[in-house]
Amino acid sequence: MLDYIIRRFVYTLITIVAVATILFILFRMLPGEPTMQVISPAMDPAVQERMKKAFGLNEPIWKQYFIYMKNLITLEWGRSFVSAQEVTSILSYRFWNTILLMAAGMCMTLVLGIGMGIIMAWRRNGAVDLIGTVVGLIFQAAPPFITGLLLLMILSYNMGFFPTGGMYAPGNRPDGLFDLLTTADFWHRLVLPTLTVGMYYISTPMLIMRDSMLEVLGSDYIELARAKGLKSRVIMIRHAARNALLGVVTIAGIMIGFAVGGQVVVESLFSWPGMGQLMVESAAQHDYPVAQGTFLMLAILVISLNFLTDVLYSYLDPRIKITAKGLS
Amino acid sequence: MSSSRTSQRFRKLRLALREHYRIINSNKLSQFGFWVIILFTLVAIFAPWIAPHDPWEMTYDSNGNFASLRPPSWEFPMGTTHLGYDLFSQLILATRTTLLIGVVSGFISIVIGANVGLIAGYYGGKIDEVLMRITDILYGMPFLPFIIVLIALFGRQLEFIILAIVLIIWRTSARVIRAQAMSIKQRQYIQMAKARGASDLRIIYRHILPNVLPLLLLYAAFNIAWSIITEASASFLGFGDGETVSWGGMLYELWLSGKTRVAWWWFASPSVCIILLVTSLVFVSRAYEEVANPRLRKR
Repeated sequence: MLDYIIRRFVYTLITIVAVATILFILFRMLPGEPTMQVISPAMDPAVQERMKKAFGLNEPIWKQYFIYMKNLITLEWGRSFVSAQEVTSILSYRFWNTILLMAAGMCMTLVLGIGMGIIMAWRRNGAVDLIGTVVGLIFQAAPPFITGLLLLMILSYNMGFFPTGGMYAPGNRPDGLFDLLTTADFWHRLVLPTLTVGMYYISTPMLIMRDSMLEVLGSDYIELARAKGLKSRVIMIRHAARNALLGVVTIAGIMIGFAVGGQVVVESLFSWPGMGQLMVESAAQHDYPVAQGTFLMLAILVISLNFLTDVLYSYLDPRIKITAKGLS
Repeated sequence: MSSSRTSQRFRKLRLALREHYRIINSNKLSQFGFWVIILFTLVAIFAPWIAPHDPWEMTYDSNGNFASLRPPSWEFPMGTTHLGYDLFSQLILATRTTLLIGVVSGFISIVIGANVGLIAGYYGGKIDEVLMRITDILYGMPFLPFIIVLIALFGRQLEFIILAIVLIIWRTSARVIRAQAMSIKQRQYIQMAKARGASDLRIIYRHILPNVLPLLLLYAAFNIAWSIITEASASFLGFGDGETVSWGGMLYELWLSGKTRVAWWWFASPSVCIILLVTSLVFVSRAYEEVANPRLRKR
């Protein structure tokens, strides 16, 4: 077990290094002056020359690669072309905003989705089952910018229930996480983006939960539980749902990977000051240090979440054989 | 001799078509999806002949007034934008872009995914290890951000959008097909073909490939659907090809114009098209899912 986790962890690190390498290659392939991605062309020539040295841009490419890697590890991610702020300090603020929104969305998705899945399997082929399937599939087919826009148009523009975006009222920036989480305004503003994220992802856990519930319900130990005369509610929750959850955990990693992508759209739509919005802004303004840093941060987020779900899965399913070959 | 072979091929093809017909007609939803896809395909093919206006033509109504922000009417069935562009024409021409991106990236990605999966699953060992590590690395790439970075670096052209989608999207099909190929490899007839001295390539493409075909079709449909959603999302964020109209791009223009509060029709038609097409693909693929995974059929 520990062996497995350690090996997975090493793979995780290798993946992060690989993604960073791909990023390095991509940004060096950029047409034009090779210094363009780190040094703003608007800067003073003397400063540009000094920065060239600092980033090793007059060295051969393999040496540049090592300098790049060293800078990544020592958190020297450069400065924004636009605001001249340190990329790491911008990211450390944006990171938590993304995590807050993602966590809210995922909680809603998993709780509602799993609950709906159980009910749909229980009342299989009933009205809830059919409506749940069709509505779930339609939600899944609607990209978050469509559902988000629709929610904005109805609940915000027309009815005025919710603000159109942002994490706090303009000019009312809270100091610190605690301050933020204790204002009612924040929770109010969280509703629409969370709903948007939730609607997009709900069908995955819902349909998977339903299918694995049905699979579990056909197995022998459920028959046994029935024969023992246990109440059907007890069988559903205690016996069936617990085992069916495994199926949801398996896809949770992949789902979270996609959720990071969805985050980009939702944050841009609701002007949520997270990493997704930063990604779009910096890419549109050709603010390369920020774009590069944000992409790397998002990738690290996806990769570590994948690692966590892997570990969680191996912990939840004792049957899993962890051999030298790995999970496969 | 050759003519009888041709007729045999023809019969095979007819049998295969009948099989697909049966699968698609097996339930109402996939039937609905099938006809929607056919309709969109026809619109995409004949787009320039159906569209009444140029997508970027400032239109005037029959009284000669500039037609800006008109709600749907007989003259402008889907309404117009603030610059007087006819949304009906934009929608029709955008169908072409969307379908082109979907089909091309769906097709290329399934070809890559199938080959990687089959080769990794069949050979196993080192080859499998290397290919699957590459797939793992791709799973670490956040999809939409990757596309945004690629387009920001290399330009907002259709080719780069397709390339960016293809580079990432094959990962899922490769994993699934590898698993299937690994289980088929164990079957007796493969062992027999090997004993008869069939080459590896022959075994992979003549014996294993036909058995993963339903799965391939299923993932081809998924890949097309994902490509369409991804392209629409990228376009909505302003990273689409500026030279062509697309459904996501139409919504981006709406967002940019700031007319979201008034022009509901501008929002409605591209959104309905995206949802309709993607849902149809999902409905059809679910029918194939039952073939690929017979355990589902009983439910």
